[in-house]
Amino acid sequence: MTSCTLGEMMIAALARTIEDGTLVFHGYGSPLAQLAMHVAKRIHAPRMILVAGATCGIDPDPPFLAPTTNDWVMDRGASSSLVIDELFDLAAAGRMGRMFLSGLQIDRWGNCNVTMLGYPEIKLKLPGGGGGCNLSCDVAHITLWTTAHRSPKDAKGRRRFRLVKDCDFITNLGHRTSDDGASRDLGHRGNGPQWLVTELGLFDFDADGHMRLRALYPDTSVDDVLESTEFEPRLAAKIDTIPSPDLPVVEFIRRLDPLKVHEKEIRAEDMARGFEIT
Amino acid sequence: MSKGGPRPIYTEPDKRVGLEDLAARVKDGAVVAVGGGLSSREPMALLRAILRRGVKGLTVVGSAHGIDIDLLSGGGAISRSSESYVGFEQDFGMAPNYRRAVESGAIRVDDNCCYTLVQQLRAAIQGLPFMPVRSVRGTSFISLHPEYKAMVCPFTGEEVLLVPAIEPDAALIHAQYGDAQGNLLIEGTPVYDILFAKASRVVLASVEEIVPTERLKELRGIRIPYFYVTAVSEVPMGAHPTACYPFYAYDRHHTALYYEAARKGAEAFKAEYLSVFVHGAPNHSDYLDRIGGEKTRARLTSWRDGTEAWKQLYVEDATA
Repeated sequence: MTSCTLGEMMIAALARTIEDGTLVFHGYGSPLAQLAMHVAKRIHAPRMILVAGATCGIDPDPPFLAPTTNDWVMDRGASSSLVIDELFDLAAAGRMGRMFLSGLQIDRWGNCNVTMLGYPEIKLKLPGGGGGCNLSCDVAHITLWTTAHRSPKDAKGRRRFRLVKDCDFITNLGHRTSDDGASRDLGHRGNGPQWLVTELGLFDFDADGHMRLRALYPDTSVDDVLESTEFEPRLAAKIDTIPSPDLPVVEFIRRLDPLKVHEKEIRAEDMARGFEIT
Repeated sequence: MSKGGPRPIYTEPDKRVGLEDLAARVKDGAVVAVGGGLSSREPMALLRAILRRGVKGLTVVGSAHGIDIDLLSGGGAISRSSESYVGFEQDFGMAPNYRRAVESGAIRVDDNCCYTLVQQLRAAIQGLPFMPVRSVRGTSFISLHPEYKAMVCPFTGEEVLLVPAIEPDAALIHAQYGDAQGNLLIEGTPVYDILFAKASRVVLASVEEIVPTERLKELRGIRIPYFYVTAVSEVPMGAHPTACYPFYAYDRHHTALYYEAARKGAEAFKAEYLSVFVHGAPNHSDYLDRIGGEKTRARLTSWRDGTEAWKQLYVEDATA
């Protein structure tokens, strides 16, 4: 094995955002984040408290990834379980270190929309954000991700951007509010989005809270990013290359996800991408 | 949202009723909290019985849901949704019936967030009119929910958001075990069921097995004491196609069949799903026959045979 997939690259990139010794949680429908947490726990963050989404099992060791989060598969090996109110209390009290969130729209300030396209006139009802609204405000650091950054033109030459200038509806709070104030002035527990991992690049947020490109994959360019982003992301002084995961990380991911559940998140055109591993 | 007066306590020694009688207690226009979540322990048999009765105008409150709320949407029973998530995760995607009903205006969108709901239920549980949250401020939920009120804490000067109590008319819960008195034993995550049971005026429960109270005591897992519970019905496989471990795993195969019918459109869903598995199955044993009877039950029980068997239930082309 000399190469890994885009999914494995993204899982490794998400895992790198996790610090040891912190309480970390993922939501449902998030296999990339789920796998990233297990990678972090096994590889570089042994003292991380891994709280599984939906089952709320603590430090589980599932035999394989199930295609649905609320399944007994996912809390096998857990030493104990939280109840749902306790989980959210931990976040509200400022004790949760990191959470992974996404959106069908992600804007330049890291706000996410998972509620509806078009507001107040609904054009498309999205599933809803679960606890993301509360957690985006309460959790110390947020890692965002999306596998659908690339927005090719449709038959009429229009693009439906995933990375938009402004969200139609703010489900999960980023660095600026729905009435264009600074989120930091609200006195929330959390510091908002810190990283965004997409299939085109890695972003952080600058001192203004604006999205900034930090790194690219070996096969993507700044132009790819600019073309698929509705606004102009800021550019870091030096744009790095996202490193490939080590072989043990890739092997671990393949062992934990034999059904390739996480590939449901990856678009068909990205399945062909391969990255050398050392 | 309190309907006035403390919620009743229920002391009848024998609360056992049939599934249809359980469903008959859900009235048009009620605010209902559906238990379980995503693909686990949702009271699906009870929801099918409610649809067969033609109940209309329900408001649903809850956290992370899927086929339960989508089925009620496709059956035309809901007029307002205060759920925080309705979907089929990354596996199948968005909830087709729910989405259609919302986009057509049949269901009014009143989306909530998980912790906001926890606090609103806690207010009802504690007999208080509201509870504060620090989060939510700055998001669009503030304009979606004009009833939320910001206030400055008189002790610390911090701004918090007050969210009003939610007291559902009925909690609909499916548990592994219960007894005649209404004690409920839930294995695995209770999701919101305990909060729902404490906050709702009426608690309607279906269970896999009704056992003697002595047996429940031995099992040491009564999560919802009897006096919260209004009526209980024994409905084996009552959560199908969602999981009710350890009895049976999630039926991904049936869910795929459901999703395909729902995806095709409202009329196809009526013809291919509702008329077969809901209205076409006048009682629960007819339903069990239609989903493949003993063969299906045995397939979904096979998760106990080990990791390989368990995994096999989720292989894409797994067939009944």
